[in-house]
Amino acid sequence: MTAWSLIGLLSAMIAMKLSHFQALVVFALVISIAFGFLGRRRPIDRVKYILWTLLLFLLIGVGIGWAMYPFSH
Amino acid sequence: MSGDEGLPVSPAEEASPVPPAQEARREAIAFVVAAASWLVPGLGHALLKMWGRAVICFLTVGVLVWVGAGMRGNLFNSRGNDAFDSLGYLADLGTGGFYWVAKGLETNGPDVSRADGDYGTRFLATAGVFNLLAALHAYEVARGRKV
Repeated sequence: MTAWSLIGLLSAMIAMKLSHFQALVVFALVISIAFGFLGRRRPIDRVKYILWTLLLFLLIGVGIGWAMYPFSH
Repeated sequence: MSGDEGLPVSPAEEASPVPPAQEARREAIAFVVAAASWLVPGLGHALLKMWGRAVICFLTVGVLVWVGAGMRGNLFNSRGNDAFDSLGYLADLGTGGFYWVAKGLETNGPDVSRADGDYGTRFLATAGVFNLLAALHAYEVARGRKV
């Protein structure tokens, strides 16, 4: 099996269907963890930063979603 | 802490200046670290022995590219039609080596006719922009401006 066919197999495995909210959660979680590790050094500071960023991502994302709701009809 | 005329002197002014040769060497190393960080996400931090950040950078870019390609996001190429395509290409190029991994993963090509594909495009662009940010961070650390 060549490397590219292995990648093709992986690609078939990840052909995923995520709901809007699931995509938001995955995005917020990954970016929050990355920012926490990049922006802070002490473990406790990292945890606080990750949780705070995640909360803001989700709150603002859902908030913007509701703000756009009237225009979807 | 004061100067000859009683004026305050900042620690930077008091410190002995770095020799130009050493400064040039440090700058060259920082460029190598930044280039490595761009080419293989996390490699720049690994060269600086920041193992946690190296693993997180690699996994973050990897997961974003994997999910973005899985959602059949649009991976821009150099033959863009407008400025947005060109900006998208620059953002996607930011993933370094993962650009070709994403190309390999998208065996069926992009599909932005659904919301999934549109989200995938954002995931891929975010992976690139994040990797550029991480490369800049590694550069600043190598220059001694950050810890």
